[in-house]
Amino acid sequence: MSYGIGMALVLAILAYVCILANLGPSLMWHESIIVGTITGLIVGDVQMGFTIGATLTLMSLGMWTYGGATIPDFMTGAILGTAFGALPGVGLEGGLAVAVPAALLMTQLDVLGRATTTLFIHGADKAVARGDVKAVTRWHLWGHLPWGLTRAVPVFLAIWLGAEPVTKFIEWMPDAFMKAMRLTGAMLPALGFALLLTMMPVKKYWPFAVIGYVLFAYLKMPMVGIALMAAAVGFLYINVKGVANRG
Amino acid sequence: MASPQKTEKVLPEYGPVTKADLSKAAWRHNVTLQWSWNYERMQALGYLWSIMPILQRRAKTQEELVASMQRHLVFYNTNPAVGSPVIFGASCAMEEQTQGEMGDSLKVALMGPFAGIGDTIMAILLRPIIAVLAASFALSGSWAGFFIMLAFGLFWFWQKFPEFWWGYKQGVGLVHQVAGGALDKLTEGATIMGLVVVGGFVPSIMSRLVTTVKFAQSVTVDGKATEKVVELQPALDQLLPYMIPLLVVGFAYWLLKSRKQSPMMVLLYLTILAFALSFLKIM
Repeated sequence: MSYGIGMALVLAILAYVCILANLGPSLMWHESIIVGTITGLIVGDVQMGFTIGATLTLMSLGMWTYGGATIPDFMTGAILGTAFGALPGVGLEGGLAVAVPAALLMTQLDVLGRATTTLFIHGADKAVARGDVKAVTRWHLWGHLPWGLTRAVPVFLAIWLGAEPVTKFIEWMPDAFMKAMRLTGAMLPALGFALLLTMMPVKKYWPFAVIGYVLFAYLKMPMVGIALMAAAVGFLYINVKGVANRG
Repeated sequence: MASPQKTEKVLPEYGPVTKADLSKAAWRHNVTLQWSWNYERMQALGYLWSIMPILQRRAKTQEELVASMQRHLVFYNTNPAVGSPVIFGASCAMEEQTQGEMGDSLKVALMGPFAGIGDTIMAILLRPIIAVLAASFALSGSWAGFFIMLAFGLFWFWQKFPEFWWGYKQGVGLVHQVAGGALDKLTEGATIMGLVVVGGFVPSIMSRLVTTVKFAQSVTVDGKATEKVVELQPALDQLLPYMIPLLVVGFAYWLLKSRKQSPMMVLLYLTILAFALSFLKIM
């Protein structure tokens, strides 16, 4: 089974809209859970969108575009992974096998998009020198073309042309490979957690991580309970510390 | 002095800045700031287009307008959601009082600190907590994860507006506000909250990592030697529950922190590890 040109177009537009919704209004639609779920709705497999989206989100925990740095494009990864994963014969393992390499490869296009937009600010320089306010407006408002197209075009081509080769490839893969892929998917959140921990003062505050671990591992507390407990502990700590400093 | 210059005609937009102008500028900034983000001057063009309604009000002549627009086409980059709206609001206040140059130094002085504060609050403190919560709902097949993420994004968008108006009211006083200690306290409390959550979520999210190793042990029952199969996982659980998830995260952390490996390399190592453990039938 494969997708038609119409589906390819719809998912390409989704990629375009989601990157813009993140860039401008900071709506975070590029988050894998959001874009994966929407893709799942479009291709008719919401659960696939949930799972691919959640796995990629967990991988990306400590990743952030600090100062405009390029990070793996999990948004495009989530769209392709969910769409291919929903095809019969591909499944979750196959979807992940597409999503992760796609997210990594897309970093090249991210750099291309960010570089190409430089042309737009040079256009604006000239418009400003002429005092042409309307032209400045155009240069800015069309500045998203390189951003959107570097996501939308690969999604369009991959969905339109890629479904058959991907399905064939996954079907040809031995079962042992797919089993290993499933284990990889379960293991990848470790990268997100570890990356996050490197950015936190673990040496100073490690007992708090132990509290969280004990709550779940020994006391079987549900996750919302842990989050509430975390808020209470954080609040108490700063207040008690404030009192101690005054005393 | 009262004689009007014939060559320089007064621009039609010239006049006092209205609340509508400020609101327009805020919407432009909050919706489009990074649409023309580029390597050379990053958010500069978005900033210029956003502040244009104010510049047009305050520039009497075409020459003044060109000069004020050029001032804003210089390098600018900070956190677009937490930080930039405050700076932009203060900068609008400066332009309104035709103190544009002072506004420019404010931009330069604050974009660095605000990038640091904004990125810390969003990327290290709040996003991980929300994302892990949302991911665990999504993994259990619930829509709640999707809606949590959606609400989180809407929150970032919404809070830019009060940020803008606060920055506008603060004006130059903003520099002193930022130097205060309130943000440090907030950061520390949120860091602690983050660590408790991570501590609980590592075992919860990665609970699928269990070993399938079994031992055949010969035991003597009533004088008869029989084979008994012993599974390794329950024994590990007795020792330390969720030991494998902790070890894998510890391994990734060690690679990143002590071995100074890039995230891409760690991804590769984890994939190799998963394939090896799977092929060797350990997991």
